Amino acid sequence: MSSNFLAWIVLIPLISSAFLGLLYLYSIKFKKVANSVFTFFAILAPISSFIIGLIFFISLANGATDYMYEPYTWLGVNGYIISMGFLGDKLSIFMVLFVTFIGSMIHIYASEYMKDDEGYGKFFSYFNLFMASMLLLVLANSPIIMFIGWEGVGLCSYLLIGFYFEEPLNVIAGNKAFIVNRVGDFGFIVGLVTMFFYMGKLGFDYYALQDYVSLVPTPVLTIIGISLFIGAMGKSAQIPLYVWLPDAMAGPTPVSALIHAATMVTAGVYMVARFHFLYDLIPNVGLFIAYIGAFSALFAAIIAMRQTDIKKILAYSTISQLGYMFIAVGLGAYSTGLFHVFTHAFFKALLFMSAGAIIIALHHEQNIFKMGGLRKRLPLIYTVMLIATLSISGMPPFAGFFSKDEILLKAYIHHEYLIYAIGLLTASLTAYYMFRLFFITFEGKNYTNKKIEPLGWSIKAPLVILAFGAGFAGFIGLPEVTGATNLIDDWLKVWSGSSLHVEHSQEIIFMSISVIAGLMGIGVAYVKFFKYDFNQEVKYSGIIYNKFYIDELYDAVFVKGLQKLSVFIAVVVDDGIIDKTVMSLSNGFINLGRRVGRMQSANTRAYAFFMLVGISSFSLYLILKLG
Amino acid sequence: MDIGLLSFIIFLPLVVSFILLILPVDMKVTRNIAFATTVVVFLLSLSIFFQFRLTDYMQFREFHPWITSYGIYYSLGVDGFSMIILMLITTLIPLGYLFLWKTKKAKGYWASMLLIQTGVTGALLSLDLVLFYFFWESMLLPVFMIIGIYGTGNRIFSTLKITIYTIMGSLFMLVSILYLGVAFYNEFGVWSFQLSDLVQITILSNLQRTLLFFGFMIAFAIKIPIFPFHTWLMQTYSNSPTGGVFILSAIMAKLGIYGIVRFVLPLFPHQYVEFAPYFVGLGVFGLIYFGIAALMQQNIKRMFAYSSASHLAFITAGIFSLNAYGMTGAAFLIVAHAMATGGLFLLVGNLEYYLGIRTISGLGGIAKKAPLLTVAFALMLLCIVGLPGTNGFVSELLIILGLFQYNHYVGVISALTVLVAASFMFWLFQRAILVKTDNDISELKDLDKKEIFGIFGLGAVIIAMGIYPHWFLYKIEPTIQHYLLDILKVGVAS
Amino acid sequence: MIEASFMSYISLSILLFSLGIVGLISRKNIFIIYMSLELMLNAINLMLVTLSKYFADIDGQIIAMMVMAIAASEAAVFLSLIVAMFRLKKSANIDDYNTLKQKGTL
Repeated sequence: MSSNFLAWIVLIPLISSAFLGLLYLYSIKFKKVANSVFTFFAILAPISSFIIGLIFFISLANGATDYMYEPYTWLGVNGYIISMGFLGDKLSIFMVLFVTFIGSMIHIYASEYMKDDEGYGKFFSYFNLFMASMLLLVLANSPIIMFIGWEGVGLCSYLLIGFYFEEPLNVIAGNKAFIVNRVGDFGFIVGLVTMFFYMGKLGFDYYALQDYVSLVPTPVLTIIGISLFIGAMGKSAQIPLYVWLPDAMAGPTPVSALIHAATMVTAGVYMVARFHFLYDLIPNVGLFIAYIGAFSALFAAIIAMRQTDIKKILAYSTISQLGYMFIAVGLGAYSTGLFHVFTHAFFKALLFMSAGAIIIALHHEQNIFKMGGLRKRLPLIYTVMLIATLSISGMPPFAGFFSKDEILLKAYIHHEYLIYAIGLLTASLTAYYMFRLFFITFEGKNYTNKKIEPLGWSIKAPLVILAFGAGFAGFIGLPEVTGATNLIDDWLKVWSGSSLHVEHSQEIIFMSISVIAGLMGIGVAYVKFFKYDFNQEVKYSGIIYNKFYIDELYDAVFVKGLQKLSVFIAVVVDDGIIDKTVMSLSNGFINLGRRVGRMQSANTRAYAFFMLVGISSFSLYLILKLG
Repeated sequence: MDIGLLSFIIFLPLVVSFILLILPVDMKVTRNIAFATTVVVFLLSLSIFFQFRLTDYMQFREFHPWITSYGIYYSLGVDGFSMIILMLITTLIPLGYLFLWKTKKAKGYWASMLLIQTGVTGALLSLDLVLFYFFWESMLLPVFMIIGIYGTGNRIFSTLKITIYTIMGSLFMLVSILYLGVAFYNEFGVWSFQLSDLVQITILSNLQRTLLFFGFMIAFAIKIPIFPFHTWLMQTYSNSPTGGVFILSAIMAKLGIYGIVRFVLPLFPHQYVEFAPYFVGLGVFGLIYFGIAALMQQNIKRMFAYSSASHLAFITAGIFSLNAYGMTGAAFLIVAHAMATGGLFLLVGNLEYYLGIRTISGLGGIAKKAPLLTVAFALMLLCIVGLPGTNGFVSELLIILGLFQYNHYVGVISALTVLVAASFMFWLFQRAILVKTDNDISELKDLDKKEIFGIFGLGAVIIAMGIYPHWFLYKIEPTIQHYLLDILKVGVAS
Repeated sequence: MIEASFMSYISLSILLFSLGIVGLISRKNIFIIYMSLELMLNAINLMLVTLSKYFADIDGQIIAMMVMAIAASEAAVFLSLIVAMFRLKKSANIDDYNTLKQKGTL
């Protein structure tokens, strides 16, 4: 397959997005266009990209070398050329495959979820723009082109969070997401620029950077590594820039599933893996990343335990799971991190889509304490959600078990026992809060039976397909003890990191420990919530429910502080000091004029006297000078 | 006497304007003919763009005696840097006219708009300092009339403030120009005010050069404006009519930057290098200072005035970064910012036309009512914010690269630009456009066909320049390298 | 008869001129002021003629003749102006003609 098809993976969704956008504007301005037209073109795009991706995948699997396609010079300054370039190597095609696959599923799901929405066409236009940006991010062959995609997904995230823009809260959430992400982007840009001057001597694509990286002094690499990771903190919602993700749930549920769970938020993990040649040389920064990941995982899990909104719980669980991924990539086990990205995409997308189905069925009810007893009434959702919940809780043989267990094992192998302990604790907490959600939603007693909206096949089919993924996707990364080949480590060989091993007996012990930790969480949740009585008053308060008041803190320090500073600058400094100085200069001239004008007294005799004095003194001067 | 292409571009609007003023035609005819004129000028400048050769020296030269006894010549020429600004001006003005189409103003409005065009293109293309000064001052007069006659609020005061402020600055420049002329006469025995002649002066002492440098810089600093000469800007922008603020923000402010690069850099390369740190510092400081000040503004035009000031400060930092990245980025940001900010002011003008003058909190709910306007607004806003895919990103990236090369710390601080504009722009977008409020906006109409063509024409250029910047940049590359040579010479000498 | 010396002519001229100046500055009536002006003019004329005689140069006398001619025509204009002014304000007091005075703010 010719490498210029790489561009088409990005271009097809982009063209689709532009086309749908124009069609939508046409539809609202002139003549209504049927939803089916939008649906057709919308779903066509990710599926086409998926098929092209699949072809590349097959040819790479058959031993083809990496594909590189540079259609044109993007920028050339000072003799330095940056090309618009696409790179199809094993990592990017791996990402393309799962992004387009999950994307296709969620497109199908959304075609029903959004069907009554008047912004139907707009939604898919944004959705495909997101696909295009995400694929550009993944397929870019240089950090700058990656940054274009990186910002593009941020924009789409903003647009989709604020999709119902007439409600202030949605737009505020969108703004928050965008601006917090921009804080991360500041770091990313600093990293990019530093990289440009210190590592870009041979060119700015990944190969050139990789060739040059060993010649760069370590302190510089450290700065680059940390700066880039600040970008990842923003995009992947890690401490301290995680605050936007829970609020981002204001967007429609398919958005939460695709952007804020499965794909965009994992961009940070992908970025660290992409710069593995850099992070391999700075293990200290890697450790820093791993610790940030571990604390984010724990912190978010704690908050998730006391939330009541189904989507917020899932959002915090996303932050927590992303933390796991950063533990892995921070410790240099990039393929393990990406494995978790992969399995997480399935089970988290599934969780969100099931949650969306529940929300739709219950007429936009998001509070889990107003659900209950849905097992009998939504049996399909119950089944798929159970698979997903078991998967995220790390129960074998579901997908989440393999990836999470491998991360914990890697932490142990690298002798980071604290991280291991935090990871284990988080795993237990995860099982607890997920089953809390699950039991309250589907079981309990004394719940009120609400009217249920029937769900169509476009919602159900993707759920079933993803349920298979959440169930069995783990088998591509079987642990060593089973004797099978770890397909994912094999595929991403370059990224699989150091090959430290533990004894097989030890490996089994670790597996058992994590399973027991998970079971403990499930057990507690079972005792507390399986027979949850919905008649009792729900009253949540306290520091955990209020998310440790971090939002309030940020608001008081940054938002209010900046606003005060703004008023100070505009009113006190600008108007009060600078403009007053300027105006007092001009007023000074006016006053001078007024004073001099007083000599215009209209007393003719005084004029005559002035004249006399003037002429006399002039004459006197001449006499003294000449005489 | 043969008339060259450049003279035609400069004087066609002037001639048409006088004819329109004399003939007893009504406003509509005036407007249509004025628009046709700008389109003709655009086509002429397009032919310049395509005939432009990839070299660093002046092209399309015109040279005629004017006041020969003092060696003052009518001397025009265009190089890569002025070419890109020329294209900007001649493209923006007709597109802006499409937006001003419905304005019910007298024909003097349109005649003044044409006169401004003559002033700005003349200043842009002249290579004789006296001729430059002539055009530089002449463009103030129509601006004075447009704001004074057709403005709003405290318009007389604003127009007096901008006029006196800029003329005061220009007087310093005039004195410096005359001083240079006399110095040239003293050294070579003949009078000349040609830029290419004046750069050869060697007899001036360092102190004299420094004073002259600041003489020029004050004029340009007020025009741009650089902190702390900026206070006229906010008042003028908020009281100008749409056309006036469009021209002021999109075009005239950029000529200040252009003046620095065209005249100050070759005339005083040593001082340029010596004082670069201060101007880079002022630029980066201004970027953040104005950005923060914009946050809490209640009047949209005032907020955009601060936003413009913030970007212009950033451009200033770029041209003083003394390397190709910063310079190229500055040239590119001049274009990007002119388009985006010009477009924004036109859109705000539209809001003002239908809804009257309102504060930000008096708007809201516009997105539902006028989706096309909202899309256009968002597009311009994203360019201001510097989102990849628009030319705003390319230019900001280049300037950050340039400043980083100049000094690492300054580069890192300047990267805050990604945060500064985003914080107030998105907040504004939320409050003024998106969120539904109780305010009555039933008078608002969405863009009509002409406006759609105008604004999305701009939008298309913005995106094209963001996706394929190289096609637009390679023509100015040799010129930028030429400017850098001036700086390099200083490096070698010192 | 006492021979009038050169110095006495000069002194007379200066005396007349000073009288004119004092009259110009101290008097309020427009006619008196005009007469003071004429007095100064004639003082200068006297000076011119004296110096012309002293230096044996005819130019001074020519100029004196010219001054007299101009003063005559000027007297016609001035007197008619005074009449017009008087009609306007019904006053020959110079202090009543104060319309050029700065009043209030700019």
